[in-house]
Amino acid sequence: MPQLRDSRSRVSRSEAHPVDYSLRRIIGIETEYGISVTGAERDPDPGTVAMLMFRPVVAATRSTNTYVRNGSRLYIDVGSHPEYATAEARTPIDALRMDAAGELTMHRMAADAQTVLRREYGPHATVHVYKNNVDSAGHSFGCHENYLVRRDIPLDMLGREFVPFLVTRQLYAGAGTWDADGNFQLSQRADFLDDAISSATTRSRPMINTRDEALADSDDYRRLHVILGDSNRSQIATWMKVTTAHLVLCVIEYAVHHGMATGFEGMELADAGAAMRAVSRDRTGMAPLALAGGGTKCALEIQNTYLRVVDRFVREHGDDLALHMADAPECLELWAKALDAVHFDNLTELSTWVDWAAKLRFVDSLRIRHPDVSMAKIRQFDLDYHDVANGRLYDSLVSHGQLHKMLVDSDVEKATVTPPSDTRAALRGAFVAKALDTPNCTWSADWTHVAASVDDHAEAELLDPFRSAPTPEFQIVMAVLDAAR
Amino acid sequence: MPQEQESRKHAITEGTAAQEQKSEQKATEASTGYSDLATGLDSVLDDIESVLEDNAEEYVNHFVQKGGE
Repeated sequence: MPQLRDSRSRVSRSEAHPVDYSLRRIIGIETEYGISVTGAERDPDPGTVAMLMFRPVVAATRSTNTYVRNGSRLYIDVGSHPEYATAEARTPIDALRMDAAGELTMHRMAADAQTVLRREYGPHATVHVYKNNVDSAGHSFGCHENYLVRRDIPLDMLGREFVPFLVTRQLYAGAGTWDADGNFQLSQRADFLDDAISSATTRSRPMINTRDEALADSDDYRRLHVILGDSNRSQIATWMKVTTAHLVLCVIEYAVHHGMATGFEGMELADAGAAMRAVSRDRTGMAPLALAGGGTKCALEIQNTYLRVVDRFVREHGDDLALHMADAPECLELWAKALDAVHFDNLTELSTWVDWAAKLRFVDSLRIRHPDVSMAKIRQFDLDYHDVANGRLYDSLVSHGQLHKMLVDSDVEKATVTPPSDTRAALRGAFVAKALDTPNCTWSADWTHVAASVDDHAEAELLDPFRSAPTPEFQIVMAVLDAAR
Repeated sequence: MPQEQESRKHAITEGTAAQEQKSEQKATEASTGYSDLATGLDSVLDDIESVLEDNAEEYVNHFVQKGGE
């Protein structure tokens, strides 16, 4: 039986407290979007649609792989996926803003592409751009989270103490889906992941990818690449999955740096892949999961342990955390409520922000009004919920107050052109904005470099993701652009 | 961002109430049927009626995506 919490932590600030840099983090979310067209007189292939979406990008940059004004990366990935990787954020709320800006960007690109498409494929051709993780044929694609951690955090420890958290967070972070037979799962990704932690990339789908590409000083950092998560439409779910993961990593890192135990010992799963699939099929959170050390715990017990430890950590280290994330207490509040709601099977409560619950509650209601609704229709609504181009269900749930948002629309609009102010993204964003507005300029950017050629050529390395102040090299690059304007 | 702050405040105030109601919740949930489930969802169902007219099989089967990751 999961323990219920009755105390709520609050961050308090004391005076003259030294800053603990081991708790600061860079966070990013990469989202692959799926494409489909319905209502066309003949079927265009998805590659055609992706290229139509990227026409304005190609016109401006001569490439389908670029960075945009808010510092994020926008590109066409293998298999004609449009993909968007958020600019570096220090806080979960900034990561959410960047992610929401990505959705809006995709929405606009799809609307423009649809206008062009209709000239050739008929007036009813409709573009769908899905922020989900599985297609009708059972192909899976990902939503990858990136967390910068200090280099001294042992990977095997993350397998033991971080993976159990990731496997069981589906209870509130899962996007939910129905297969063709009508079986409902909390996670769209559970059936596509095997090893808990691995350096392999494509053949197997490990939950944490350790391909070592820190995109920062690799003597100090490694970039943890988490690939087991679902793509969320709910802004609160996106914020919650990133915030809880960040806080769990804070506990682990603090313990390693201070030679302490984390409190997550004993959570290690005997078979993370099997546990992932079991949790995904059990909305009660009570299915027993085999532990590596023997015995079993259910997902609710495991999540409640993480919550209890993080809650204590936030109370004890609020001073340090407040510097990096002032909204930790709100996350703990919602985390506890979500676990309680799972325990009490309170679908109505969960459905205000948990994607799988919002969809399931909607389908339950649909079945009451239309008892003969087909499985295909339910799967259509499942997809429609994730369609950022022409989907109706998500917007309807929001506009009728059934699903809560966290950001106001004008804030998301602003985030499409405004990078986070306190990371390297501020520099990249300023560079991209200036380069796009400089005629006859050739430029390139990636996560750690910017380069520009007009009359002169200059380039700068941006190795420190926490640095938003211009380096002398960066100023020279900007001066090259200024000289040509 | 007023909406952002508002939703957080909302979460906090509701938290206390939810704690108090917890013991009664199980019983209430068990006895709720259509009325609780569909509260607020009627308008959503009205909104999406036109989607019900589409050919669902065709819509779903059109989405086949390869590659990625």
